[in-house]
Amino acid sequence: MAAAIAGVFQPEMQNLIKESKVLLVGAGGIGCEVLKNLVLTGFSELEIIDLDTIEVSNLNRQFLFNKESVGKAKSHVAKTSVLKFNPNVNITSHLGDIMDTKYGVAFFNKFKLVINALDNKKARSHVNRMCLSCDIPLIESGTMGYSGQVEFIKKGVSLCYECLPKSEPKSYPMCTIRNTPKEPIHCIVWAKFLFGQLFGESDEDVSVEQTVYDGTETKVSARQWAEIIEYDPKKLLEKIFYDDIKYLLSMESMYTGKKVKPVLLEPSFFETEVVEYRHVLDSEVLTLEQCKSMFLACIVSIKQKLDICQNKCLVWDKDDDDFMNFVVSSSNIRSAIFNIPLKSHFDIKSLAGNIIPAIATANAIIAGQIVIHALRILSGKYERCQSVFLRELPNHKGQILVKDKFLQKPNPKCMVCSTDGEIVLSIDINKITVKQFEELILKKKLNMVAPDVLVDGRMIISSDEDDELDLYEKTLAEAGVNHGSRFSVDDYFQNYSIKIMLQHKEKAQEEDPDFEIFGNLEELNTAEKNNEAEPEENDEDCLIEKDESCVERVDDDLSISDEQAHDMVTDKKQEDDSVIKEDMMDSDPEVIKVDQEISNEEILAMKRKADEASEDINEAKKSRVD
Amino acid sequence: MASEITNNGNGEMSKEERKVYDRQIRLWGYDGQKKLREIKVLLIGMQGLGAEIAKNLILSGVNSITLKDHTEVSILDCCSQFLIPRDSQERNRAKASMSAAQKLNPNVKVIVDTTPIEQNVDSFVTSFDVVIATECSPTTYKRLSELCRKAKVKLFIADVYGLFGYFFQDVNFKHNLYGEVFLDNKIYTDSLPAKIPRAYFLTSALLKFQSESNRKPNPDTCEEDVDELKSILNPTLDQLNISNNIFDEYYGELFCELSPTTSIIGAMVSQTAIKNAMDKPIEKYNVFFYDHIEHEGQFHLL
Repeated sequence: MAAAIAGVFQPEMQNLIKESKVLLVGAGGIGCEVLKNLVLTGFSELEIIDLDTIEVSNLNRQFLFNKESVGKAKSHVAKTSVLKFNPNVNITSHLGDIMDTKYGVAFFNKFKLVINALDNKKARSHVNRMCLSCDIPLIESGTMGYSGQVEFIKKGVSLCYECLPKSEPKSYPMCTIRNTPKEPIHCIVWAKFLFGQLFGESDEDVSVEQTVYDGTETKVSARQWAEIIEYDPKKLLEKIFYDDIKYLLSMESMYTGKKVKPVLLEPSFFETEVVEYRHVLDSEVLTLEQCKSMFLACIVSIKQKLDICQNKCLVWDKDDDDFMNFVVSSSNIRSAIFNIPLKSHFDIKSLAGNIIPAIATANAIIAGQIVIHALRILSGKYERCQSVFLRELPNHKGQILVKDKFLQKPNPKCMVCSTDGEIVLSIDINKITVKQFEELILKKKLNMVAPDVLVDGRMIISSDEDDELDLYEKTLAEAGVNHGSRFSVDDYFQNYSIKIMLQHKEKAQEEDPDFEIFGNLEELNTAEKNNEAEPEENDEDCLIEKDESCVERVDDDLSISDEQAHDMVTDKKQEDDSVIKEDMMDSDPEVIKVDQEISNEEILAMKRKADEASEDINEAKKSRVD
Repeated sequence: MASEITNNGNGEMSKEERKVYDRQIRLWGYDGQKKLREIKVLLIGMQGLGAEIAKNLILSGVNSITLKDHTEVSILDCCSQFLIPRDSQERNRAKASMSAAQKLNPNVKVIVDTTPIEQNVDSFVTSFDVVIATECSPTTYKRLSELCRKAKVKLFIADVYGLFGYFFQDVNFKHNLYGEVFLDNKIYTDSLPAKIPRAYFLTSALLKFQSESNRKPNPDTCEEDVDELKSILNPTLDQLNISNNIFDEYYGELFCELSPTTSIIGAMVSQTAIKNAMDKPIEKYNVFFYDHIEHEGQFHLL
């Protein structure tokens, strides 16, 4: 441990390292590397928390784990491993969720510094709020493939994690998924839904099935029908890929204009005997016949799993080979019907599982920079702690690890770290219930944990279960909310509060969004003007689907990406087409291809950010030397 | 149950390997992984930086790695050498690292070699695809550079001084040799002073210090060593009309191999070597510096 040896660091720094208590949130790719670096540097009061257990696919980079540790808790194994090379360190490891109320303000207040090595936006936002409210410096980090970044967050000093809008998860119009798929991803999203319908807890609102299943007047769900036929693979195949398509084709208005009509497969396809599915390399694209065999085989295996499952309800998981085969085979068969290119098992797994490529080296570089940031933060040199970006390839100046020109100041209008943060919520108060308001807007959209809501001084939502307000099933209007009402929302757990100004907007058509959020009234007005001027011209999907009733939009974030899913800070307005194109030319084409459909946007945002940072770098250097 | 995906049985990657490497195969593809599986690496020097490079390359799945070090474990290794258990009975660095290194990935052949590189014959390097050297003397680096150039073996030379670090690479056998870049003052005659990166001055001074004192700067003697460094560096800076105090912040953090920077340099070297193995070298440049005060990592052609 470097800090144990005199002369390695200046005496003041040496003490800071030895005495500062640090919380590391996440023991994954970045977490393992950071823990190693902290311990070797001489930090001796550490706590580490992670809710995950170790998987085989972690072993190419999470070097504190090996084959024998698969299935065990990451945080505990990480601790045991580092103690081998430094037994003289106090590490407390927690197997748990950092968003658990167990880890409240009292827990956070113990630490001099918090380091995030997380893989999802929700937890990042939460730790951000906890650190702001306890006024503890936070280092935020992430990697994706060859790229990565380190950010310093401190209340009143720098941007917070939520100061700039984050890119939203990709979503697809339900009608595209259901009726008019155009790309492999549409069929993959559909296949995952189908899985939920047949084997999972079917969500009534989003049913994929089209026809009446028993031929009589009474409608049954896909699940019920599958149970009646006892999951007969051949009957399922015929129903899903023949009958349902025939039904689609019977709706004349559906396939006018540019839309690709599905083509019915030859009836003989459904008549052949069940042949055993033959294994092939997962990087090869399967033939339609192979997909059929795979489909028939995996239905049998999944049925067996369903039978032994306690609550008779399976949750799709990319790491279950049968579940994965179900999505591979059914999405490919559907693709064939809609004249969409078929994809390999390998590629479909990337898309369906939203897998983000991850390597040891990028994590190690980011982890090294995190600990250097930590040293600068402890000695109060905040001005040194600009964001640092790791690029996939060096820029024209040879820079590959690039820093921002300045430490960016907090956004005064930030709804999280600014005291007078107020947002405008545009919503139909006659349609949305109090419960929906809490679940969809406060918890899902605004990442709160236990909100209390006052409307014009009256409480309508309470985090205390003893308060029986009995308003959950009522609409906002019935609960006394009007156009122009001001909500005061408090999350005592996160010690976070925000004011919401409500604007009533009637949801006239099904395709209107359930709600919209704006930074202020001006933004709302501009958005409305723009909408009137050019109705939805930017969204290709909407243009094509305009005359139909696109009811729901489907978020493709059903399976939260597990590894270092990176949420980049990005201001979409700044994005410039020409720059993006240049970037793509300049980068490794193969890599782009792998990532393209999952998170191209995020990668580009990251590259762009790194480029921006590098642009005026010389100036920054000059001024510092001066 | 017909649910497994296996290979064709023609000696390709096993299903288990594919699972372990899945997240990186999604970055560089099966072809990239196959190329990596053929690479034989010689890694000289098993202090903190060597440990990082060994870790990264073993995790990535190279064919074999030879850990070469004739020296004994020292107290300073605890600053960054995480492959050596604290209660280590084996005093040779390479031997003491072996067990933890092999555990990282059983698919990679990990070989220990305790002969000093100075005693190896010239043809020794030719049995490897890549040579990576750390913690050698500047004269050994010079010799290795000439040797590898002649044998057309790809070479990386890397060192970390406290929180500062750099590496040199010769991957296309075209640019200046190590000696030409760092030891023969060729740079000063070839380039304009303004074009020479700041970190270069620091690196060449550190190397001169090493040549003269036969060691790196040491925390025990930090004050004398900093004075010595300044006496090497300042005349050069004066000659080029550069202010002497531009390195004031750097001097306090130049001792031992410190973990944050072994982590950065070790990964940068490993990744550059990996890209090389996949025929995607960063060949425009021959030197990389990590500047621990500016928090920047930049490639240069010197």
